[in-house]
Amino acid sequence: MPYRDSQLADLVDLGARRGASYADARRVEREYEAVSVRDGEVESVTRSGDRGIGFRVLHHGAWGFAATDRTEDMSLRSVVDEAFARAEAAAGTRAAPVALAQVAPQRGEYRTTLLRDPFAVPLTDRIALLRSADANLKGPHAVSRRGSVAAYRTRKHLVTSEGTDVRQEIVESGAGLSVTAVKAGAKPAQRYDSRLVRQAGWEFIDYLDLPGRAARYRDDAEAMLDAPLAAERPTTLVFTPEFLALLVHESCGHPTEADRVLEHEIAFAGTTFMWPTDRGTLRYGSEHVSMTADATVPGGMGTFGWDDDGVPAMRTKLIDRGTFVGYLTSRETAAALDLPVAIGSARAEGWQHFPIVRMVNVSLDPGTQRYDALLRGVDDGLLLEAPASYSLDNKRQNFHFSTQSARVIRNGALEGYARGVSFQSLTPAFWGRCDGVADDWELHGFLSCAKGEPLQLMRVGHGAAHARFRDVPIEVRG
Amino acid sequence: MTVRGRDAMLSPLQYALRDVKADEAELWVRRRRSAISRYAKNEIHQNAVADETHVQARVVVAKAVGIASANSLDPADLRRLVADATAAARESAANDDWPGLTAPAPMPEAQAYDAETARADARSQADAIKRITAAAKERGFRAAGTHQIELNEDALANTNGAAAYAPGTMAYLRALVTSESGTGWAEDLGWSARSLDPSDVAARAIEKAALDRDRMQLPPGDYEAVFEELAVAEVLRFMSLTGLTGETVKDGRSFMAGKFGEQVTGPRFSLWDDALDGRTLAIPFDVEGTPKQRVTLVEGGVAKGVVYDRQSARWFDTRSTGHAADPRRYSVGGHAGNLTMAGGDAKRDQLIRATRRGLLITRFHYTNTPDPKRAAMTGTTRDGTFLIENGRITRALANVRYTMSALDLFSGIELLGPQRLARDWWSSNGMGSIVCLCPPIKVARATITGSSPI
Repeated sequence: MPYRDSQLADLVDLGARRGASYADARRVEREYEAVSVRDGEVESVTRSGDRGIGFRVLHHGAWGFAATDRTEDMSLRSVVDEAFARAEAAAGTRAAPVALAQVAPQRGEYRTTLLRDPFAVPLTDRIALLRSADANLKGPHAVSRRGSVAAYRTRKHLVTSEGTDVRQEIVESGAGLSVTAVKAGAKPAQRYDSRLVRQAGWEFIDYLDLPGRAARYRDDAEAMLDAPLAAERPTTLVFTPEFLALLVHESCGHPTEADRVLEHEIAFAGTTFMWPTDRGTLRYGSEHVSMTADATVPGGMGTFGWDDDGVPAMRTKLIDRGTFVGYLTSRETAAALDLPVAIGSARAEGWQHFPIVRMVNVSLDPGTQRYDALLRGVDDGLLLEAPASYSLDNKRQNFHFSTQSARVIRNGALEGYARGVSFQSLTPAFWGRCDGVADDWELHGFLSCAKGEPLQLMRVGHGAAHARFRDVPIEVRG
Repeated sequence: MTVRGRDAMLSPLQYALRDVKADEAELWVRRRRSAISRYAKNEIHQNAVADETHVQARVVVAKAVGIASANSLDPADLRRLVADATAAARESAANDDWPGLTAPAPMPEAQAYDAETARADARSQADAIKRITAAAKERGFRAAGTHQIELNEDALANTNGAAAYAPGTMAYLRALVTSESGTGWAEDLGWSARSLDPSDVAARAIEKAALDRDRMQLPPGDYEAVFEELAVAEVLRFMSLTGLTGETVKDGRSFMAGKFGEQVTGPRFSLWDDALDGRTLAIPFDVEGTPKQRVTLVEGGVAKGVVYDRQSARWFDTRSTGHAADPRRYSVGGHAGNLTMAGGDAKRDQLIRATRRGLLITRFHYTNTPDPKRAAMTGTTRDGTFLIENGRITRALANVRYTMSALDLFSGIELLGPQRLARDWWSSNGMGSIVCLCPPIKVARATITGSSPI
């Protein structure tokens, strides 16, 4: 049965009539189209879509949520029954009712600004682009090559019992490249990036220059096969914006999620080392380190008109010149921590998911010096280009990262490669070693930040510039 | 929860495949109804149920493959889906390595389904949680975790006449108990809610939380170790992802590449993939409709074989073992997701008593692989890491960072306990889909490379 525009309002009205103190209904429709090429052959052309409705109530002070992909009236009535049944079952365990921070009712529409609809690009053009990139991934030792382009569209309609009624249409474009090089007597070398995504049209794929990027990845992979092992000692590390995007994500974005403070994620994703009493005093990093959460960045994968609580997009500081100052919050967590709503971060992956605190665009603020000036300040060090393995503890303190590709920096210039590099640190110790951030800030995006139970994969954005860290102990393994 | 059943799941697929204008076509559907109660600080804070149906069409025209997916079994939606996949195939280019769709084959019966579990409701889930939180509160502790009931129904049909259907259920109860100074973890997993014992889960988690006090930091180094089942499952995950598939062997990334018939780890380590074992959460066919086979991967430390889907089987001129993976999660080439590791009869106390100076690891958090070729894993421990001295647990430890090749770890197996169903940290919330039937082990050497603060 086709979806009727009034269904969400009807659900919310029904929720209110049955005694819910709050109710919202969210319809989400997602489209995805991808082409992938493996070793020059078209591996798959994939088109997918799903749609459904999620219904949430606060009843007797507890949340209940039910979701269905069937939109006929009987299924929707059943969704209401189930949401109330789950709220009632939860209510029997609660000592205090859930409260929501106040937000004025919202109305309006948000749409991604794009120049060229990625779904409208002929498939033949997409395949030709990937084959052109694939040709440049070929090297003497390349045993496996993959390339893909993808387009995403999400239409979302949220209606709440408080009078919010907002619609959004978000379009994203992305690409991925990978090459594996194998040579007898050497460790296999992989160079890849699956995070080339932006809230934008096909113009972003053009901007990526996939053939040129493929040639760089091939050269990196081939060079890493024969690269000498790095020397295991504390050294100066310079990170690319791409690498730092992940470091910011893991070591600042996650520990500033307010639901971790409330132990909502303690059993799976973990908690944090950044507690409410630490706000304004905890030394997170050096004076060069400021980080901002911003749901308004043009092109950001964490950019929207409203979050799934109906809170409008905002911008707030998380780290201010090295000091921890702010959290990512939902209406529930803001109220529980007695915080003003400085950022709306309640997000659900799809119609079938309960909104939880997620990152929006969390970025390292740019510095003032040029990248070449930053490099000139390094007599002997390494440029880490792209992360490989990464692992963090359950409070986001101890972390371990390895790199796909490391360049040697000698007397302020890049010369050759080194392999086997990884580093382990505690978060404040690592960011405390930062002695410079360049002005070449650029935006990156992730498609699949994983959190929640059941799993929710979230799109998030991260901006960063090149940055330099002194005396970082590194580990080297052959 | 209601089971839709074989006819309701399979008939729409078969109907939609009539008159398809393509060389081959296949429809695969997975319905998942997931009811999850999440609790923290002794209260349920999220209580959700979602019913979703994922249908995927693969259509082949002149060896060009088009894939489309949607979430409706309505006849009109399925017709549109097949048309979308056909259009994608016609716009695509030929894959000269295309192996063709599967042929009809006898299908083993589903064993991991329990009708009573499928009917579990929100109140029964809350009641189990209340038993855990009451026990925790009695000790002055607080509890967090999840109670999850899943009903899955998989069905597949193709134009070769293959047809398969299997229902499955999962019951999963997890508890993290937090004291003033530490944490303890326990869980039960099975295909029947009757296999969940909230009182026992609470008791085990409380025991560990109570022991987790006055933590000390362990200096980096090599130590004897007891790995409980969840910790073993974490290590097995990296063996699976980095080395147990046709694709990883083809690419030369697998520790198996060029090593078949050779000793790759210790003689006490044997591993196979067995989706036909009634104790696991297995579906008896893969997403291509191939019946799953038991595959011996490592026997007595000797590399024996890997798993294949139809594409990787084609690369090696062999037959699919029934290990095509859900394409939403894993790439083409095979996936070993029902791992069974040989166990033994050593009790937990025996594993501890056999340790002169070492550590006990309950589970890991956010692991990864810095050296895929060696199936190496790095990750920090959590919720029960203890120092063992002279055969006794003597101190709680701050979480440690472990970094080591699975092959090296399993070379040092000295004792094995009985098998238990376990999932690694990633698979526990659905980021992966590996289930392990594995034992606790005592090993001669585990490499610790760092520590979290106390």
